[in-house]
Amino acid sequence: MKSLPVITLVAAMVIGAPVLIALMTGLIGGGGDAWSHIVSTQLLGYTLTTLGVLLLTSLLIILFAVPAAWFVSLYDFPGRGFFEWALILPLATPGYVLAYSWADIMDVAGPLQSFVRDTTGLSARDYWFPSLYSIPGLSFVMACALFPYAYLTARAAFSNLSLCTMEAARSLGASPRRIFLNVALPSARPAIFAGLALALMETAADYGAASYLGVQTLSVGIFRAWHSFSEPAVAARLAFLLILIAFGLQFIERAARGKGGVQQTATRWRTPRRQTPRRLAGWLIAGGCTSVLLLAFVFPVARLIWLSAETGLGHGDIWRPFFNSLVLAGAGSALAFVLALSVVIGARQNKVSQIMGRIAAGAGYAAPGIVLALGALFILSWTSFSIAGPAALVFLVWIYASRFTAAGAEPLNAAFSRAPANLGYAARSLGAHRMQRLMRVDLPVALSGAAAAAIILFVEMLKELPATLMLRPFNWDTLAVQAHAYASDERLAAATLPSLLITAAGLIPVILLSVQLTRAGEARAAG
Amino acid sequence: MKRFLPVLALAGAMAACSPAPSDETPANPDVEVGSNGTLRIYSARHYDSDRLMYEAFEKASGVKVLYREAGANQLLETMKAEGENSPADLIIASDAGALWRFEDAGLTQALPEGEFESRIPARLIDDGRQWVGLARRVRGVAYDPERISADQVDEWSDLADPSLEGEICARSSTNIYNLSLMGEMIERWGADEAANWADAVVNNMARQPQGGDTDQIEAVAAGLCGVAITNHYYWVRMTQSSSSSTREAADSTELLFPTFGPDTGVHVNITGAALAAHAKNPDLALEFIEFLLTPEGQALLVDETKEIPISPDAERPTGLDRIPDFEDSDMRLSAFGEHQAEAQRIYDEAGWN
Repeated sequence: MKSLPVITLVAAMVIGAPVLIALMTGLIGGGGDAWSHIVSTQLLGYTLTTLGVLLLTSLLIILFAVPAAWFVSLYDFPGRGFFEWALILPLATPGYVLAYSWADIMDVAGPLQSFVRDTTGLSARDYWFPSLYSIPGLSFVMACALFPYAYLTARAAFSNLSLCTMEAARSLGASPRRIFLNVALPSARPAIFAGLALALMETAADYGAASYLGVQTLSVGIFRAWHSFSEPAVAARLAFLLILIAFGLQFIERAARGKGGVQQTATRWRTPRRQTPRRLAGWLIAGGCTSVLLLAFVFPVARLIWLSAETGLGHGDIWRPFFNSLVLAGAGSALAFVLALSVVIGARQNKVSQIMGRIAAGAGYAAPGIVLALGALFILSWTSFSIAGPAALVFLVWIYASRFTAAGAEPLNAAFSRAPANLGYAARSLGAHRMQRLMRVDLPVALSGAAAAAIILFVEMLKELPATLMLRPFNWDTLAVQAHAYASDERLAAATLPSLLITAAGLIPVILLSVQLTRAGEARAAG
Repeated sequence: MKRFLPVLALAGAMAACSPAPSDETPANPDVEVGSNGTLRIYSARHYDSDRLMYEAFEKASGVKVLYREAGANQLLETMKAEGENSPADLIIASDAGALWRFEDAGLTQALPEGEFESRIPARLIDDGRQWVGLARRVRGVAYDPERISADQVDEWSDLADPSLEGEICARSSTNIYNLSLMGEMIERWGADEAANWADAVVNNMARQPQGGDTDQIEAVAAGLCGVAITNHYYWVRMTQSSSSSTREAADSTELLFPTFGPDTGVHVNITGAALAAHAKNPDLALEFIEFLLTPEGQALLVDETKEIPISPDAERPTGLDRIPDFEDSDMRLSAFGEHQAEAQRIYDEAGWN
């Protein structure tokens, strides 16, 4: 057991090295004129824009995720069984694909505005129409793509509310609204914030959607510093700021979690019996869930299918990129899973490992893929490797793991901490070693969380773009690379097929995840 | 833990069993190639027709082609990091400024003398033969003939005229085509006048810069603005689109190539190629460049992109008959790259996001 912190140390090094090296190069390397230009003209704008997007995205995510999770967990309304798993589907579609699609729908030449002009006879200058190429537009797209994180954690928390707590509240005459606001929400708050923090870190690091929509976030600024000024060191400095923001988010999440009742003491684990709302209310709830699903998934995916059908599907070889994407995501998630497991287990052993693992994973997750790829390139230049053949794949899998381990560590960690402390005490009193407790108590309890972690890792890696663009071997495209290449060259119709395939490849794991979580919930309810 | 192992084993096996990455896979597996060597290309283009181009060269030469496609900046950083170990033989980029940056970073070397020099206009070859043009691309405007007359926009300086207030649609200044355009203005007019132009154009914009060139043309067609700044091939591709609404949008606008003043010609950029500094196969790189200048190579290079062939005897792709006649600007192309950072500064200060 003493070796565990060493494992954590190694894991933290593997995860943290690319981002650490990129940041150090940024701090040591001179920024020169480009840095002072950016500080004087752009930095404040980049930072405020990023914070604005984060704030608005979090509001929208909460609006989409929390009521949906609450009703799905505790009420029987028309279509509940369907929405329970379908609301996770948007997880399969990358933010940049949603941006392509929604931009096309909302564009001045798109179907909505054309309809407005055709029916009213107005010209495009005669009316106001919301623009997707804006901070609210980007926030909307990111919320659509990422609200399932918060929905998942909130749903798990609401389903786990102990029956006693709910019954106690009810017997004291609390109205459903008061139960929601005063009982359920406070106890689910840590879980909701955990999901929200993941989604927001992803939002802050997003490059694809923000650059497509022309919103000048820090992440876009990083690319711009590098692109227009040829200053990777300046790009790395900007990344430092982004990572500070991400740690700020983590800090807020911890603070919000506080000492709120994470540990349920009640032994009756049955999910409270679902209530049947009045008929109209039931349909209203169903309508709300339908709206969320339409906005976040059905409309944008349907538009892509339409564009694809309208222009024909014959675009190049699609199956090789499809296969490449699966292989890379599979290998990357295997490595990230092992790393996440090491970090989470290490964190349970001592405080130092916990902090180390958290910082490494958090920094990797907060850094945009471009910065990690820069780190990998710096390493390459010292080690005299060239990006060809298997070496490129190894680097890429490493960068994937560095970037996404946190996304796997969070659900794993949540799963571990859900095991009632009493079980651990009981095992200890029966003389079990730490390792025995880990293998025989903690891991089995955490199994569903572990599966969720693996699936989330796989789906995230399927969607990864900037690092893949830079580090992949010769003749080795992924679907994300293809979609981006077509879309950035304004061949949206050609980009639709790879975009749809990314969604399709992500759908199966996401549905598996959803079914598994739903079953776990039902088993507990029945048990 | 036992229950995780199969999952991990499966994932590991997937990675292990995947086909050896690329170096063994030619662009066209049916052709017996490689007997004459392997050419490794770093390309900033990503067209389906590029595969056909590589395959045609493989067939014609028996040379195996391996390619890595990414943005010019990614390729540049990758090559910097790889240093002398870089496997790249040839660099292809769709902008003179981008090619200049490879040269500036010491990642290119002079091409050996060859037949290509007689087939490419001298202006489109770098003075030190560090890179050469292969196809031309023109930056111009698409305008709504019902709102705007051609003489309102036939010089770039016209776009700064207050009469165009609320009429101009343009994409972000980070886009390389806008940076290269500004590069030529700085070289011709000086930084101060170029900055005044940017300020005035920002004042004339109908909306914040957003989307790509195609989006600007569509905005003109929808009546949101009167003038869109665009490269010629986006407009040409729209006129050839399989979607009737896209074709109609392009048809409702006129394409025009503004000059920089009397007798200056228009802003012409290139897709070009450079020999990598540490190329292992410079001869193959040269052979590929010469292949791209043959009628077959030119056709494959520009058929899908709708660029303008560089070689006068090459056939033009369908749709190009609709673009206006033009005279190339006499500007050195290196100026685009040399002024790139200053161009970005000017745009930033003008508030052209």
